[in-house]
Amino acid sequence: MADYRILLADDDRGLLEMLLSIFRRAGYHDLLTASSGLEALRLWREEQPDLVVLDVMMPGMDGFSVLREIRRASRVPVLMLTARGEAEDRIEGLENGADDYLPKPFLPKELLLRAGAILSRAYPERKEQVALAGSTVDMANAEVWKNGERISLTAKELQLFEKLYENAGRIVTTGALCETICGEFWQGYETTLSTHIRHLREKIEENPSRPVSLVTVKGIGYRLNLKEAAS
Amino acid sequence: MNSVQRFFRRYILSMIGIIFLFLGINIALFFAVMVIGSMSGSGTSLSVRDLSDGVVWQDGAWTADSAALSILRKNDAWAMLLDENGNVVWQQDLPEDLPRSYTSADIASFSRWYLDSYPVKIWAREDGSLMVAGLQPRTLVKFYYSLEWPYIEVMAGGIAAVFLCNLFLIIFLILRNTRKVEKALTPILQGIQDLSRGKPRHLEEQGELAEISRGLNRAADYMSRKDNTRAEWIRGVSHDIRTPLSIVLGYASELEENDVLPQEARKQAGIIRLESEKMKRLIDDLNLTTKLEYALQPVQVKNVDLAETGRLAAGEALNSGLPQQYEIAFSEARPGRSLPFSGDSSLLLRMLDNLIRNSVIHNPQGCRIILSAGEEDGYYLYTVSDDGIGLSPALLAALNQGQDISSTRNCGGKSEHGLGLKLVRQIVRAHQGKIQFSDTVPHGLTVKVFLPIKS
Repeated sequence: MADYRILLADDDRGLLEMLLSIFRRAGYHDLLTASSGLEALRLWREEQPDLVVLDVMMPGMDGFSVLREIRRASRVPVLMLTARGEAEDRIEGLENGADDYLPKPFLPKELLLRAGAILSRAYPERKEQVALAGSTVDMANAEVWKNGERISLTAKELQLFEKLYENAGRIVTTGALCETICGEFWQGYETTLSTHIRHLREKIEENPSRPVSLVTVKGIGYRLNLKEAAS
Repeated sequence: MNSVQRFFRRYILSMIGIIFLFLGINIALFFAVMVIGSMSGSGTSLSVRDLSDGVVWQDGAWTADSAALSILRKNDAWAMLLDENGNVVWQQDLPEDLPRSYTSADIASFSRWYLDSYPVKIWAREDGSLMVAGLQPRTLVKFYYSLEWPYIEVMAGGIAAVFLCNLFLIIFLILRNTRKVEKALTPILQGIQDLSRGKPRHLEEQGELAEISRGLNRAADYMSRKDNTRAEWIRGVSHDIRTPLSIVLGYASELEENDVLPQEARKQAGIIRLESEKMKRLIDDLNLTTKLEYALQPVQVKNVDLAETGRLAAGEALNSGLPQQYEIAFSEARPGRSLPFSGDSSLLLRMLDNLIRNSVIHNPQGCRIILSAGEEDGYYLYTVSDDGIGLSPALLAALNQGQDISSTRNCGGKSEHGLGLKLVRQIVRAHQGKIQFSDTVPHGLTVKVFLPIKS
């Protein structure tokens, strides 16, 4: 796992401790904590973290204000946490430039998944190599190593793989995959998508007719299984 | 036509009915008075003809028989017989102060009016003489009319015109007044109806009924404040519980996945995590149902593909890590065809999630849940069916009658917060849809959600 510096900001000590524990167990070790908006802003300026996990409601300066301050100078990825859980909060957060938004209470898995997805989108150059059952995908170079052979991925195949990798182990619907490639108006793209999936399988699967890494969930979508899960 | 309009229509009709009833009764009373008046006289009015018949020339003198005298006595009247020259040739009780001879002018005058103050009746006999009967003063009123024919015509037409004018004027005034009252009362009555439906609205406080409008506005404000306070309270409690619950969920998950811990401890941590997740859902449901109930969260309408929403719901349910005894499948009536709908995707997703979860909670032994999307009778149709234990006919009937049964889960089972189906119903209602519950053959529950294609 690439070592990212993550700043965690929440006014609740207990939650901050838990966040530290979750990220540490997930393999992130360069972690900073702030228990107020001002402290978060100071640490962001001084330490230049790779990801900021920001609580909305903090004394003194709230999360949205911190986010606005950060966005004046930086595009650092920000994941907002909120106890309010309202749609308006979500919209305000995203409008102010948050990369994602997670309402409390959340499952650690959910938080790590979103943090991982944001990081891999924000730092493509640091993308790791993904080990699958029959191949290894090097996302940074858009290539696959299978049986000692190097195979290039097209831009669309890479986009699809990234989306599936961000949600590894989870089902990604056909619509979500089409949207990754075509944007909002993806209707009618399903057939082309299945062609891309077939090509991707030919590149990453040992036996494309019996896929184990990129599996179809009938009627719903596809799921990418990483090496330990696929075996 | 709403009940307020209906009320005023009935009011107008009843007023017109009252007018006609009033006229009818008046005409009846008029005739009754006429009849009673005619009956209240002496009963046997003096007949000068009969009297005249009883006075005859006999043995060289005029004499009256007993019948004639009896008529006079009964009416306290007097009588005289004038010859062709106007001389009294016979008399009976003729007052002393009256003359005994009359000129033609005298006769012409009293035949129409009075002789002095005595009302008289006359009868011209065949023999050329004139019988005059006089009554006591103030016993008979005599009128003499002489009207020209065109005047009579105008009079008759005029009376009819005045009558009709009055009738139309009364009806017009009633309609106008009713309209005025209707205009003043309709917003107030509408306000009361809205208030009773829990949708208070602000009324204009002007006119004579401003005080009532003000009172209703106060009631509506009070209701809104109360609702808001309740919603705020729920929001506040759920807000305060979110952070501690995140910590419980976080640590429970950590412990559950910690390989160093004994299996039993990890299992217990798993139970804490599972129960905390239920609490998380409860808070989410509570917040959402409160917002929908008090219309605090308007539906955020966007273009949604219902087929993709169905896929997402099935995918989410599978991703959430359901136990192995559950199987979830998604099917489309026409695969590859989108179902465009204007709705709130997150609410629709929540609706399907709650229905899937209802099947899961209801069937702890496991079941196969099929979610399908299609079209039927001008509606988009979501069907969530399971092959579980199903529902009792009574509960099915209650659900189909729209009763707010929170969950299809039997009482006495494991904890279930019971807002799931209430929320589903609220979301369906917010999208102008309808919901049906039925049995799956051979066993299980099928829930159909119909959403209007032209939404």
